[in-house]
Amino acid sequence: MCLQNFPCQEVERHNKPEVELKTSPELLLNPVLICRNEAEKCLIETSINSLRISIKVKQADELENILTKKFLRFLSMRAEAFQVLRRKPVQGYDISFLITNYHCEDMQKNKLIDFIVQFMEDIDKEISELKMSVNTRGRLVATEFLKQFI
Amino acid sequence: MACFQRASPTVKEILLNLLSAKRPREIDHQFYEFGSVEYRIQVFSSDPDHVLLSITTLLKSQGVSQADSLPYHALHGLYFDMVEVVQPPKDGYQLTLKIDITKMPQRKDDCIKVVTKISSVQAVLLSSQLKEMLWHLFSLDNFRIMFKPIKLVYHQREPFYIIRQPYKITVIFPMRFQDNSDVVIATTLFQELRYVAYSGSCTKAPPCSWSPIPPAELKGESFKDLSTNGGFVSFDIFSRHIEDSKLDKTVWNLLNFYAFVKSHVKCTRGFIQRRMHKRMESLSEVLQKAGISRNELLDKKAPRNICLTKTKKFSMSIILKPRCGFFSRNIKIAHS
Repeated sequence: MCLQNFPCQEVERHNKPEVELKTSPELLLNPVLICRNEAEKCLIETSINSLRISIKVKQADELENILTKKFLRFLSMRAEAFQVLRRKPVQGYDISFLITNYHCEDMQKNKLIDFIVQFMEDIDKEISELKMSVNTRGRLVATEFLKQFI
Repeated sequence: MACFQRASPTVKEILLNLLSAKRPREIDHQFYEFGSVEYRIQVFSSDPDHVLLSITTLLKSQGVSQADSLPYHALHGLYFDMVEVVQPPKDGYQLTLKIDITKMPQRKDDCIKVVTKISSVQAVLLSSQLKEMLWHLFSLDNFRIMFKPIKLVYHQREPFYIIRQPYKITVIFPMRFQDNSDVVIATTLFQELRYVAYSGSCTKAPPCSWSPIPPAELKGESFKDLSTNGGFVSFDIFSRHIEDSKLDKTVWNLLNFYAFVKSHVKCTRGFIQRRMHKRMESLSEVLQKAGISRNELLDKKAPRNICLTKTKKFSMSIILKPRCGFFSRNIKIAHS
């Protein structure tokens, strides 16, 4: 996360995240892919002035798939609440973060990293909790419905 | 069909408003409820003591005419002296009731009770056909005969089938949803229904099953009717489920099944939305804490500040001394 202010080399008076534009290969570092399995992975792309973290969340079944999609779409639509959240995830991933040198100036780097780690943990936790809640609600409703016959 | 309450809330409100009005007034309200029941409530200035309540449903069933399906006997028994069935009913309606509001009870509680009962006319109309059908199918002598499925349409998009089978009647609901997420939420409910139906607490309830493909009993039905995205839910109704007072419960629960599923899907969506909101707030709080505060920002720029404070420490006399030294010396020389 050693990001620094770096103006665009191609266009004068432009200062854009190099990890997004990829105009100059010398400004990009090798991306790091951390992969638990095909369904759970994290891609970290780094450049001189920006960093992009993309996450693919585990979706074991149809319900988890729907819940993950719903939740991540919900967060993406409210990206302004999370300054570092990208509105559209990188292709092949469920959610992406874009951290620029400006974010590092405004925020503490260690806390920014803590946020990303907590986000990853919370997403998994939230999805499994939601799945359990939906199943529990289903069972209660089913019991109530069938009890009406008795 | 989509109402857990038997009494129509709109009809109830209009009738109660009419009764509480100090002056008789002319009204003509026409409205639909749940997309399948049409009402018309009229009071004429020439006859302000009588309210005409007309009702029609989308009841379309194979082999049953609409006129046959009207439960006149049930209506006569249900509604007291103040209600009479108008023959023939108004054009475009299945049933017209004439309510004499002068005969309404004076006590408010009794009056509400009567109005509630009158407002539940749609429930009587809707459930009477299914009640009779279940009775008729169980009363048939030959238990071993299997009949063709009977399609019941209470709502255009929500038809269901009744099939007489040996010793039981199977009610099959084809489930259709607009959204994929609704399908998934509903599927969890169907799987739970199947599981709970065989568990200890609900063994006396009708056994329930869910299948993503059309059951064999519906073989021969049109492709359009069998194309669903939520699969097929079946309930097996045995004779014990239609005994005495249980018949009414069974019929009402079957009629409300679609509404029940829809309500569950809607509530679950709301629940998920609330949970997501809560989680988003807690996550954004973490990020807000990561922001550098004003003091921290000043600390970060500390070297420049120290420089400034150092320069500030010099007094004005010290700063001006070397600059004004030359002039003061010259003045001293001039004076001497």
